[in-house]
Amino acid sequence: MPALLEVKNLATHFTTRDGIVKAVDGVSFTLEQGKILAVVGESGSGKSVTALSIMRLVAEPQGRIVSGEVLFKGDDVLKMNDSQVRELRGDRIAMIFQDPMTSLNPVFRVGRQIGESLVLHKGMSRKEAFERAAELLDMVGIPHPRERARDYPHQFSGGMRQRAMIAMALACDPDILIADEPTTALDVTIQAQILELMMEMQERTGAAIIIITHDLGVVADMADDVMVMYAGKQVEYGTSDQVFYRPLHPYTWGLLASLPRHDVDEKGALRPIAGQPPSLINVPSGCAFHPRCPHARGLCSADAPELIDANSGHLAACHISPDERLLLQPPGRGGGVR
Amino acid sequence: MTELLRVENLCKYFPVEQGVLTSRIGRKVHAVDDVSFSINAGETLGLVGESGCGKSTTGRCVMRLLEPTSGTITFDGRDVGSMKRTALKAFRRDVQIIFQDPYASLNPRMTIGEIVWEPLLVHGIGDREERRNRVKELLEVVGLNPEHINRYPHEFSGGQRQRIGIARALALQPKLIVCDEPVSALDVSIQAQVVNLLDELQDTFGLTYLFIAHDLSVIRHISDRVAVMYLGKIVEMGDWRGLYDEPHHPYTQSLLSAVPVPDPVKQRTRERIILQGDVPSPIDPPSGCRFHTRCPIAQFPKCAEEEPPLAEVAPDHRAACHFAKPFPINLQGGSADAG
Repeated sequence: MPALLEVKNLATHFTTRDGIVKAVDGVSFTLEQGKILAVVGESGSGKSVTALSIMRLVAEPQGRIVSGEVLFKGDDVLKMNDSQVRELRGDRIAMIFQDPMTSLNPVFRVGRQIGESLVLHKGMSRKEAFERAAELLDMVGIPHPRERARDYPHQFSGGMRQRAMIAMALACDPDILIADEPTTALDVTIQAQILELMMEMQERTGAAIIIITHDLGVVADMADDVMVMYAGKQVEYGTSDQVFYRPLHPYTWGLLASLPRHDVDEKGALRPIAGQPPSLINVPSGCAFHPRCPHARGLCSADAPELIDANSGHLAACHISPDERLLLQPPGRGGGVR
Repeated sequence: MTELLRVENLCKYFPVEQGVLTSRIGRKVHAVDDVSFSINAGETLGLVGESGCGKSTTGRCVMRLLEPTSGTITFDGRDVGSMKRTALKAFRRDVQIIFQDPYASLNPRMTIGEIVWEPLLVHGIGDREERRNRVKELLEVVGLNPEHINRYPHEFSGGQRQRIGIARALALQPKLIVCDEPVSALDVSIQAQVVNLLDELQDTFGLTYLFIAHDLSVIRHISDRVAVMYLGKIVEMGDWRGLYDEPHHPYTQSLLSAVPVPDPVKQRTRERIILQGDVPSPIDPPSGCRFHTRCPIAQFPKCAEEEPPLAEVAPDHRAACHFAKPFPINLQGGSADAG
């Protein structure tokens, strides 16, 4: 049986006045049924564009998926015609966006927006869909769901809007839920509610989740697998435990070392990554991270490292050899010995 | 240690305007309600809370960018509220602010040299040549290339722009800097650079910070003392260690337990308190303790009727809760670590 979702060598480029932006440049991964994959990286690393490309939502003609395959249950989404893609979107693959303030339509009642996909994909009548929308709102923990379904988005708070977005995404019982920074705009206590809700829903429906975030705490909270991106490329991929406790790539080391932690006893000095993120128009030669990497050597600026399996499915794209890595690994990060 | 800033019973209410012609008097947003704290010279006080809790308004009142509704602010022994033009101008030299958004807080039509230069010009410091040298020196101090003095803000990345904002704040050699969410718009690797820079500058120039942020980990890292705000009030305040190790107020406890830690095993095993519902509106804040509508340990009718005072619960540690009790936050995770 083919995997639920298999992305192979995906590349999405944007044409701008200043040149071609290689937002996503050769990304491959597999998502199995019921798993949670976190995509981590800083702004401009290509995590959102990866998600949009899977959904075929990249704005054309500036943006173009230039190569790759996105196999959903074996069928290539990139080769589908528009109506096939529309059948997939919202029905089999649903998306939750970062900003619940702007991703709901202000002129339609919340219930109608949630029910829209049911009318489109499940052939329900408006009325049935509205009823179902109220049930969904109840499921995501909105009090008085029948009345609230008649409200407009501005009558909802930020946390409630994000709940409504989740209800909308789950309406058709999708196989994959893509959540792009679902809690970034929310306060921590509300974030905790939403993450809890997403995991609860995932257990109930068995959907696979791709969560895109820059918050490593959220990753540790939810993810089974983690993909770390830098300048449009994957630099590391592994299970959550592998990436947090035995990280392989110097960029991942840098990310972990720059975080202030409130869960460790002493205030350790933060060790930031030097320099600035690269421009995606003039990506550094070889390994894109080499100008900021404390362990870079001649080879790194000449040759782009391949993503190779270092240890039972734990992949990294780095020239540092495994033996050398043992010596370099920054101390005191999660012990590294669990 | 000498006290640099004292804020007593600070209140700031904003009138709620309804309709075009009728500005109804009476309804007010209680943005900051009876807040008192002090900061010693050379110290960092972290002010933390969720959006709308009044932390930024407090910062702006301290600088008199907003006129407080009531309360007194004493800076270096002088009453800020009664300052008139000359005294206020001198005060503004001593107190500077760094804003959250490095994109919106720099004038796009000015070169970075002009931006850092402007405070020197306004306060008539040095002659042309001296100012120019001072600007170059400041750019170097914050880690920018002084040769970029003639470039415009759009030529810089977010982290570099925040450095420009910091150079501008440093230009007049202030005593107190109000840092209003200075790193929350930045990526983690850049955030760490700016936090380290602020730390270094504090050591070099003996600065005092009022550091406002919603990120509890950043606040813990940078602060000597921390105040937690909820709906316009300080609910808990104290030495960073006591407050993070043994929070006494249920709001602080739930905040700390809600922040996910970047460690999967700890995260899976730690205890969490998930608050129900949203923050109530500050227009009609709840009676009694403002947190009682979401509080997991509220007892009625006491909590809904009586407002708890900010009372001492341990040395240099105060909490405003009728049932304050230490709650050791188990952040190390439940798993017994072998080794």
